[in-house]
Amino acid sequence: MIRRSLLAGAAASLLTLSLTACGTSSDATTPSPAAAPRDAAATLTLTDGWAKSTDSMPAEARTMTGVFGTLTNHGTTPIRVTGGTSPAGTMVELHETVRTPSGTMQMQPAAQGFTIEPHGTRVLKPGADHIMVMGLTSELVVGTTLPITLATDAGDITITASVRAFPGAQESYAPSPVASHSGH
Amino acid sequence: MTHDHAAGAARRGFLTSAAGTVGAAALAGWSLVGGAPSADAQSNPTRRQDDPAARRRPFRGVHQSGIVDAPQAHGAFVGLDLVDGVDREGVRRLLSVLTDDIDRLMSGQGSLTDQEPELAAVTAELTVTVGVGPGVVARVGATAPTWLAPLPGFSVDRLEDRWSAADLCLQVCSASPTTVSHAVRRLTTALEPLVRLRWVQRGFREPFEGPGRPMRNLFGQVDGTVQPDVAGQDAGLVWNAGEPAWLAGGSALVLRRIAMAMDTWDAVDRQSRENSIGRRLDTGAPVTAPPGAGADAPADLFAKDGLGFHVIDDAAHVRRAQAKEPHERFLRRPYSYDDESGTGLLFAAYMVDPVRQFVPVQQRLAELDLLNIWTTPVGSGVWAVLPGAGPGEMLGGALLA
Repeated sequence: MIRRSLLAGAAASLLTLSLTACGTSSDATTPSPAAAPRDAAATLTLTDGWAKSTDSMPAEARTMTGVFGTLTNHGTTPIRVTGGTSPAGTMVELHETVRTPSGTMQMQPAAQGFTIEPHGTRVLKPGADHIMVMGLTSELVVGTTLPITLATDAGDITITASVRAFPGAQESYAPSPVASHSGH
Repeated sequence: MTHDHAAGAARRGFLTSAAGTVGAAALAGWSLVGGAPSADAQSNPTRRQDDPAARRRPFRGVHQSGIVDAPQAHGAFVGLDLVDGVDREGVRRLLSVLTDDIDRLMSGQGSLTDQEPELAAVTAELTVTVGVGPGVVARVGATAPTWLAPLPGFSVDRLEDRWSAADLCLQVCSASPTTVSHAVRRLTTALEPLVRLRWVQRGFREPFEGPGRPMRNLFGQVDGTVQPDVAGQDAGLVWNAGEPAWLAGGSALVLRRIAMAMDTWDAVDRQSRENSIGRRLDTGAPVTAPPGAGADAPADLFAKDGLGFHVIDDAAHVRRAQAKEPHERFLRRPYSYDDESGTGLLFAAYMVDPVRQFVPVQQRLAELDLLNIWTTPVGSGVWAVLPGAGPGEMLGGALLA
């Protein structure tokens, strides 16, 4: 085999969680092994998904990371994402950014989760809505992939994010003065 | 600098003639169908909507873009060194990120983490061409071709560390300098945990290059015009045929940063300038060519004047650079630079084997070339230019197979 298939590589990394490189995972969506109530995996995807790598963070911040991209509901009924799990961390939360009474922007858990309307999208980006993977159990190095299984009212849906270096999204990780994560 | 290759001249002339013939035929066709010559031009939406800012060059293919395609007006060569600890798997991760982000940028999207994708929307024929040095090949554990090493030192060299070889070289070119700057920034930051930026060498060409307006270096010399027929019988001078196997469809890049001494050049009259290179400054034609000849006209190295001296000086650049063997030719894709570091030329050339094709020519020039009075190589590097990536493939996939 002269040229390696990246898609095959992506699939392998999902199965084994080995930190293999994957350059074309932006559209990767893999059905959860667990049976979903209404074939949710086919109806909710994350495109251009990426997560901030820990090797682009200061050492003290490497306990959590943000996940970004575009969630698209391809189905005909709304899908509400309420949380999730990832083998890379101990906890997955959905966060939104709100303005506090003092006027500053602050991250906080999205109490209602993320609802994606039929044929609608929800853009996750730094400084706005995003998924947090917390309690990271290992380094997330650039050029690998991060799988996340989202819990939705349509069943579990596994998405994949490319792990990328990114200088921003620091406000999500700084222990101080941002207190938005203090409750976790 | 202006390496000359007479063998390429005739073919280029042929291509020019062929284009002329097509043009004439089109004109004849219009008259034959009885008028309305402008109907096609007015109704062809592709022609009318051809926005230069939106032009794209292909990323996916057997070869990388940015080699045999027409040089864009703005270019940057980016030298990157792998940081300690980047092993085979690290190189794989690096190439996967590069592949994905170059694919996105050349198609007019932002890179994956791009927060200013508006700057990527102007592709303006953006190409990013990736070459790897021996350090990358060693970390992968693959076999490097014997020529993938620093060029032998030449007597004229005054190489500076700040322009010397790097583990990777990205050639980033576009008709828009903003696009080049954005792509360089996004690609280097995307790779930050894996590489250290060693240098960026920025250059430019005449944005209005075209028929009758050739590439000229900052000495005013017609430069980089007489080229091998890379789309035809000379393709084997540029594209690697599979030695080693991981490089099939790839090439080799020689990048030489050549400082040009403008102050002393300014003091030289035009006749002496023409004598130094053996070409006329206005047309680029050899000084032995008849009036009206173009840069592609063959140089008569044997012609003598009334006193018995060679018309083309024994130390003229055109004579010394002349290929002695058919394989002593290569594709040049030079850019000028003019910045706080000085003025000069980024001599970029693509070939299969620099030791076989480039070194003999450069050796002759180092031994004797009037242009050496005003030019000094201050940087030098050789990289293996990876084969193109097909659909779903990663740049350097074969290197890591």
